[in-house]
Amino acid sequence: MTDRYISKESLGTLITTVNKSGGRFVAPVLDARQVVYKEVASIEPVVDDYILPRNSYKEVAFPQTEVIYKYELNRAGVTIDPVEIEARETIVFGARPCEAASLASLNSVFTWDFIDETYTKREERVVVLSVGCINADDECFCTTVNLSPKSTTGSDVALYETDNGYIATPITDKGKAFVKTYSASFADTPKGEKRKELIDPEKIEGVDLTKLGETLAKTENYDNPKWAELTRKCCGCGACTYSCPTCHCFDITDEGTAFEGERRKNWDACQFDHFTLHASGHNPRDTQYKRYRNRFMCKFHIYPTKFNSTGCVGCGRCIRVCPVRLDITELMEAMSK
Amino acid sequence: MSNLYIPHLVTIEDIYEETSDIRSFKLVFKDKELRETFEFKTGQFGLYSAFGLGESTFCLASSPTRKGYIQCTFRKTGRVTNGLGELSIGDTMGFRGPYGNHFPIEEWKGKNILFIAGGIALPPVRSVIWNILDRHEDFGNVTIVYGAKTVADLVYKEELRHWDERPDIKLIQTVDPGGETDDWQGKVGFVPTVLEESKVKAENTIAVVCGPPIMIKFCLGALGKLGFSDDAVFTTLENKMKCGVGKCGRCNVGDIYICKEGPVYTATQIKTMFADF
Amino acid sequence: MGKMEKELREKAKELLESGEVAVVIGYGFNRRKTRVTPVFITDPAETDKLVFNALCVNNLSIYLTRKYKDVQRIGRPAIVAKGCDIKNIVVLITEGQVKREDVYIIGMTCEGVAYKQELLKEKLVPEIMPVKCHNCDVRNPHVTDTVIGEKSDFTPPEEPTGMVFDKIKQIESMTATERWDFWNEHFTRCIKCYACRQLCSLCYCEQCITEKNMPQWIETSAHPRGNLAWNLIRAMHLAGRCTFCGECERGCPVNIPLNLVNQKLVLTVKNAFDFESGYDENVHPPMIVFKEDDKESFIK
Repeated sequence: MTDRYISKESLGTLITTVNKSGGRFVAPVLDARQVVYKEVASIEPVVDDYILPRNSYKEVAFPQTEVIYKYELNRAGVTIDPVEIEARETIVFGARPCEAASLASLNSVFTWDFIDETYTKREERVVVLSVGCINADDECFCTTVNLSPKSTTGSDVALYETDNGYIATPITDKGKAFVKTYSASFADTPKGEKRKELIDPEKIEGVDLTKLGETLAKTENYDNPKWAELTRKCCGCGACTYSCPTCHCFDITDEGTAFEGERRKNWDACQFDHFTLHASGHNPRDTQYKRYRNRFMCKFHIYPTKFNSTGCVGCGRCIRVCPVRLDITELMEAMSK
Repeated sequence: MSNLYIPHLVTIEDIYEETSDIRSFKLVFKDKELRETFEFKTGQFGLYSAFGLGESTFCLASSPTRKGYIQCTFRKTGRVTNGLGELSIGDTMGFRGPYGNHFPIEEWKGKNILFIAGGIALPPVRSVIWNILDRHEDFGNVTIVYGAKTVADLVYKEELRHWDERPDIKLIQTVDPGGETDDWQGKVGFVPTVLEESKVKAENTIAVVCGPPIMIKFCLGALGKLGFSDDAVFTTLENKMKCGVGKCGRCNVGDIYICKEGPVYTATQIKTMFADF
Repeated sequence: MGKMEKELREKAKELLESGEVAVVIGYGFNRRKTRVTPVFITDPAETDKLVFNALCVNNLSIYLTRKYKDVQRIGRPAIVAKGCDIKNIVVLITEGQVKREDVYIIGMTCEGVAYKQELLKEKLVPEIMPVKCHNCDVRNPHVTDTVIGEKSDFTPPEEPTGMVFDKIKQIESMTATERWDFWNEHFTRCIKCYACRQLCSLCYCEQCITEKNMPQWIETSAHPRGNLAWNLIRAMHLAGRCTFCGECERGCPVNIPLNLVNQKLVLTVKNAFDFESGYDENVHPPMIVFKEDDKESFIK
């Protein structure tokens, strides 16, 4: 399929058409002084001057909190009423090429052996329209993890900004089908409309992913004092994991009374001190650096070796949001030595 | 089933008060078909629901050779287990499973088996014990070393008496120093010490160890001294779990997910793992 | 700032070399030297890493609490602290969390910091300073073992001013329904990352009420009900203790105006008990003491 073009005006029409046909259109909007992904019904709130939204769009497939089932106690015992998974067509507009790679990573966790349909059913209906970055900030490090604003991994349609719209390159079958379904919004690229130049964030020299992987794979490095030295400042909040597009940990919890209520699947963070606390009081990750070490291992050892997928996409959200400015790239550098 | 996290409903058919805070349940699936078709292997675990309170992970403490029901044993420590502690015979609870790997007992045919357990860790071992005893003709000698803090903390007291009386089993019971009563017939001492003193022969013998992390650590040392090779020593790791199916990200030890690739490991495997349990 | 940093580094070196402290908790630059981040200096040769400038907004007193066993294991700490940070140390002392003699306080005179590091471009301008700096009465730190920097002659306004106070007045004039809507709108955004709690040195409980589940006091889900419960209960737990350091609001990734909640409670406690926390390590906060002449007008 050849490149198509969508003007800003047509984008507005696309948003209303998707909404009318029962789908969700998720795009970057300004909310409480920051850019976030949110459902939109029209183009008015959509912004284009942003580096990355504060949140990751993983929440369209993996919501922060969801009801798995409702239960009711009665004379007959217990009745369980499973909640149907709402799988609406969901268009994510304005995703950055770095984080577009993330759903594939989440997919690998939620489908190895057991298939978690609460995730897959939604993920199947997500169409990712990425927009290549023309700006980056100090925290962006996609090029350090072998991605770039040119990457198309995970994008269904890759969009590139022009003066008045976007040039659209369909990447996947899903993307091609999307452009076909909504063909009225797409046109041939008008003369004079050119892709704006993509930014090329500087690669962090000291980071060597191969060496990093090798270091992490060795059990003797697990007790390296560097871990504590470099990460003891971590305050143990969940801001990084909740902004991260590949963090997948969750909790299963009941809410309600002894007579009726619901079981929920909620995001959880390996950075919390109670995350791995045993009933006996024993905690394998009893200090903060051990919890941070787990998160880091997850990104650069577990995801790549176990799931053969990208653990870190270099979006830099965890650095921007960290209240103690713990910079993951500094640790990547230290562990590459 | 479309949703992984929806439990089967089970009825509590019988309750055994093992100690002041440890309980066992005999559970029967409400679904008649499942009652007949449900199968598991020794060493596997499940997630048990107290509705309104949540889910907890315990092993399947019964033997797969005993069909039609499952058993579990738990200590009342948290929200869910205290909730389960208040249920009565006939009440409904939830069960998901079986999950995880199992003890490779088919490979142990013809061998002697040494069981070592501490406190509340007897239940996973008990499943193997009954599995072996129910087919004792396939295996060699059975030795059980079981210890608890005090006499009152020993679980499955009825079965301990039964095993003690059986001529085909050697049962060594012990309690920690200070935990003995006036009429205590067993030994006094920590499990690893008692194990070492037992002089169990390592030749053609498989050891199954379950207990708190510190006990496992010292038992591995004691078994080494007795001449056991690490490949002949099996244990189960119990990390905190919420999903049981390799998703929730809690139980991993490095890149090993205890709930999927475990909980059963040989000492050889344990020794090459990241120190995260 | 050059002179202050030099003095600070010399002092830190002296403290570590003499063995008076085992670690200096302070601020250092990140790799790009664009942001500061907490550093733990144990080697006298590394005291050059210490910096002090308008980016040093973090309240490092969190590292004195028992949550940081790993830091406590290093040994006696010296802490680089601005007046506002010292207020929190004072509360920790009054609440028996830290003994005065167990910490060496390096008090930094301060001309204000940026509300968030990202806001600082070239130099500090009043517009990017948090409200606490504009009303600061501890620019010359008040409880210290040593003071670094020239004496500040800043006098805070008699009546505290700034956006937080204006907004509080505005909220006070709202109807109950409007107030409910206002707070619900903000709390609904909460993602339960607990950055507010983790950044607060006065939230030093090893088991927070949100982790207590027998019974489950607060629903852990990030739905409006659970979020409201969490934020209200946390506010109540800080009443009479909060020093208005502003760390919770700074750390909130979803911009919930927590300063409004906390300053409102500061004002309420001041009005009811004539008490402001963080000034005197020998005076206990009103919520943990009982006096016969306490006002009882709140019981209606």
